[in-house]
Amino acid sequence: MHTQLRRRSAAVVTAVALLAGCSATAPGASPAATGTATVRYAAPGSPSNAVTDPHGLLPGESDVVRMALTYDVLTVPGADGTTKPRLATGWRPDATLTRWRITIRGDATFSDGRPVKAADALFSLRRMGKKAAENFGRMAMFDLDASATIDDTTFELVTRKPYAEVGKALEGATFVVPEGSDDFGKPVPGSGPFRPTDKGGAQAVVFERNDDWWGPEPPARTIEVRAVPDPQARAQALLSGQVDLAGGVPATLAKQQEGNSAVRLLRRPGATLYPLVMRMDTKPFDDLRVRRAVRLALDRQQLLDTVFLGYGEVGNDLITPKDPTSPATLQQRTRDLAQARKLMSEAGLADGVDLTLHTTTAYPGMDSAATLIAQQLAGIGMRVKVAVEPADTYFSAVYARKPFYISYLGGIPFLDVVRVALTPGSPTNETAWKDRTWSAELDKALAEPDDTERHALLGDLQARLRDQGGYAIWALSDRLDLARAGLSGVPEGIGFASAFIDQVSLDG
Amino acid sequence: MPWPARALARTVLLMAAASVVIFLCTAALPGDAADVLGGGRAAPGELARLRAEQGLDRPLHARYLDWVTGVLTGDPGVSLITGRPIGELVAQRAGVTITLAVAALAVSVPVTAALAWAAARGPRWLRHPANAAVVAGAALPQAVVAAALVAWLSAAWGLFPPVSMLPAGEPAWSRPDLLVLPVLTLALPIAAYGAALLRGAIADVVARPYVRDAELRGLPPATIALRYVLPMIAAPATRLFAVTLGGLVAGTAVAETLFGLAGLGELLVTAISTRDVPVVQSVALLAAAVVVAGLAAADAPRRRRETARP
Repeated sequence: MHTQLRRRSAAVVTAVALLAGCSATAPGASPAATGTATVRYAAPGSPSNAVTDPHGLLPGESDVVRMALTYDVLTVPGADGTTKPRLATGWRPDATLTRWRITIRGDATFSDGRPVKAADALFSLRRMGKKAAENFGRMAMFDLDASATIDDTTFELVTRKPYAEVGKALEGATFVVPEGSDDFGKPVPGSGPFRPTDKGGAQAVVFERNDDWWGPEPPARTIEVRAVPDPQARAQALLSGQVDLAGGVPATLAKQQEGNSAVRLLRRPGATLYPLVMRMDTKPFDDLRVRRAVRLALDRQQLLDTVFLGYGEVGNDLITPKDPTSPATLQQRTRDLAQARKLMSEAGLADGVDLTLHTTTAYPGMDSAATLIAQQLAGIGMRVKVAVEPADTYFSAVYARKPFYISYLGGIPFLDVVRVALTPGSPTNETAWKDRTWSAELDKALAEPDDTERHALLGDLQARLRDQGGYAIWALSDRLDLARAGLSGVPEGIGFASAFIDQVSLDG
Repeated sequence: MPWPARALARTVLLMAAASVVIFLCTAALPGDAADVLGGGRAAPGELARLRAEQGLDRPLHARYLDWVTGVLTGDPGVSLITGRPIGELVAQRAGVTITLAVAALAVSVPVTAALAWAAARGPRWLRHPANAAVVAGAALPQAVVAAALVAWLSAAWGLFPPVSMLPAGEPAWSRPDLLVLPVLTLALPIAAYGAALLRGAIADVVARPYVRDAELRGLPPATIALRYVLPMIAAPATRLFAVTLGGLVAGTAVAETLFGLAGLGELLVTAISTRDVPVVQSVALLAAAVVVAGLAAADAPRRRRETARP
C-alpha cells in the first residue's frame, strides 16, 4: 500500500513539476523580500523519523544537520575531503600506530553548564561502539574497552590494528554527549554552536545560537530546520519564499531556475553514486571477463545525461572518486562494444545471457538508470530484465543479497566503504570481494605513517578494485541545493561536510 | 440488554476486532524495524541483538497483549526508530491533521450536498455535467487533484503558495492561506465520493409518492429538500460522515507529504515504510476509534426512537 502510494505521489510530483514549469513564477516568488535573522532550512528527511539519539541511525539528512548544530564532533571533513580539527585539537599516535592520544579543547561547555571533558568524548565513542548495528560499525577499528581517559582534555584511543587514519575515523558522526547520558527520548545537553528548543512542534526544530560556543560566532541568531520528505516540496518552499535554503532539489527544477536571479543553485560535485553491483561469486559475474565487458558496454555520458540530466560527471569505475586518496590520473574508461563483445565470447557467452537487474524508486532516477543500463547491455548480448523492487524493503531484501542490482553511495569516504562493503567474510560484502592479498595490502597501507606514501598505497588499492572488482561506477551526480540569493556560509563538500551549517547568514 | 449497554458492548467489540486486524496487518509486513535501523549493512548477529532489544523476537500473542495493555493503561510505548514516546509524536501532529480534517469536512459537506442534489434532482441541463463531475472526482487520486490545484491556483493565478511550511510553533490555523490547497486536495475527492454514494439515496427518496405530491402542490424545492428529503437520507449521510472523518485522521498522508506538512497521515505512512509497528498501530487504532465512535453517534438518534416505542 505504501509503495503504491509513494509511486503515485512520485508520478504526481512530476506532473506538478511539469505544470508548474509551464507557467510563470509561483506566488511570493521574491525570496529577498523578508530579511530576518532567522535562517530557514528545508532539508531532506522525514519529520516522523526525527531521531534524538545522535549515535544510532541518522535516517535523514535533516537528522545529521540537527545533530551537527546541537553537539560538537571530534573532527570534521573539510570541503576538499581532508580532516579538520573541531572539538579535538590533536590526534597523535605512538610508534606502533595503535595507541592514539586525542586532545580536546578545554573551553567547551554543555548547555547545562558542565565543561566538556575527555571522559565525555570517550563515553560517546563507546556508546557508538555499542550501537554498531545502527551506525554501520563506525567504531569497528577501535578497541574501546582498552581505551582510557588520561586527564580532563586527553584520552587514549586504542586501535585493533595499526591504523594511521584515526583523524578520519573520528570525522562527522562523533557527537559528544555528557558522560552517563542514557535517556535519548529527547535531546541531551550538547556543546554545539546552537541549542534546540521545543518551539517548533512537529513542523520544524528551532535552534537558538549558543552564545557560549567556543568557535566562530554564528551570524544567524536562529536556525529553523525542517524535514521535508518530498524534493519538489523543498524546492517550491524556497521558490515561494517560505525557506532560505532547500537541500537536495530535483535536477528538472534546478534547470528551470538557471536564469532566476532571486535564487542561487549550489552544486556539490560527486555527492551521489548509483553503483552497478555484480556479485563476484555468482555466474556469470564470477568471470572477470564478464565484469570487464559490462564496464566497457556502458555508455556513461548517455547515463549521466538521462539519469542526472547532465548534473554531474561520468564515472571511471572508482568507488570513491572524491576521496582525497582516489587516484586522479587514470585514463577515463569509455564504451568499447567490440572489445566488450570479444570478452563475452572469450567467457563462452557469445550467445548472450539472461539476467535480472534489481532496482527501486527510493532515490530519483534509480529506476531509469536500470532501464537504460539494460538497453545498453543488450549491445553485448545480455538480455536484462529490470525488476523494480519496493523502496521500503530494498535495503533488507536486495542489498548484499541479489547478484545484480543498482546500489547507492552518498559522499562516503573510501575507508568507510571498505569497512562495510569490501571486507572479506563480512555479510554486507555486496560484490563478494574476497581478494585476501588486497586486504593484506590495505592493512599494510594503514600501518604506513607517512601521509604521501599511504595515500599512494590507498590509491593503488582503489585502482585495482576498479579493474578487478564487482562495481561499475558509471556516473557521479551533483547534489543540488537552492538558496535564496543573499544566503552565504553554506558549507561546501559532500557527506558530513555538508551538515555543518552553523555559519549560514542572510546578510550576504 | 437496554440500548446504551448494547451500543457500548458493540463499540468495545468493534474496537477489539479492529485492534486484532491492525496488529495482524502490521505483523504481516515484510521486514522489520531492525532491518531499517541496520540500513541493510548490519550483520545478522547484530540484527538479532537489535530485535531482542526491541522485543521483536517475542511470540505474536505476547507482543499483542503488551501493546493492548499499554494502550489501555495510556502508555502506547515508544517509536522503534526514534525512541520517542508515541503519545508525544501523536500529540504534536494531531493539531495539524484535525485542522485539515475539520476544514476539509466543512468544505466537503455543502459541496457533497450540492453535487448529489444536482446529480439526482438538479435541472435537466445540469444533471449530466454533475454526474460526470461526481464520477471523475471520485475516481481521481488526491495527488492528481493536488497537482491540478497547484498548477491552477498557485502557478497560474498566484492565489496560494504551492507548499505549506507552517510557521514553527504556531497553530495550523494561524496561516489559513497555507491550508487552502491541502484542504481542497482532501475535500474535493471526498465530496465527489460522498455525492456518488448519496445521489442514489436521494433519487430513491424523491421518487416516493409524498415527495411527488409535495412537488405537485407547488412547494418550493428548498422546502422539499429540507423537510421531506433530508430526514430520509440523514442516517446514511451521518454514517458516511463518520467513516469519512475516521478516514481523514489517517488519510491525509498524500496531502501532507505533497505540501510539506507534518501530521498524522505522514506519521502513519512513514511508520509503515520504516516498520515502526507501535506507531502504525497507535495511529491506525486512533483512526478506527474515530470511525467507531462516529458510527455509534450516527446510530444513537434512531436507537433512541426505537427504544422509546412501547
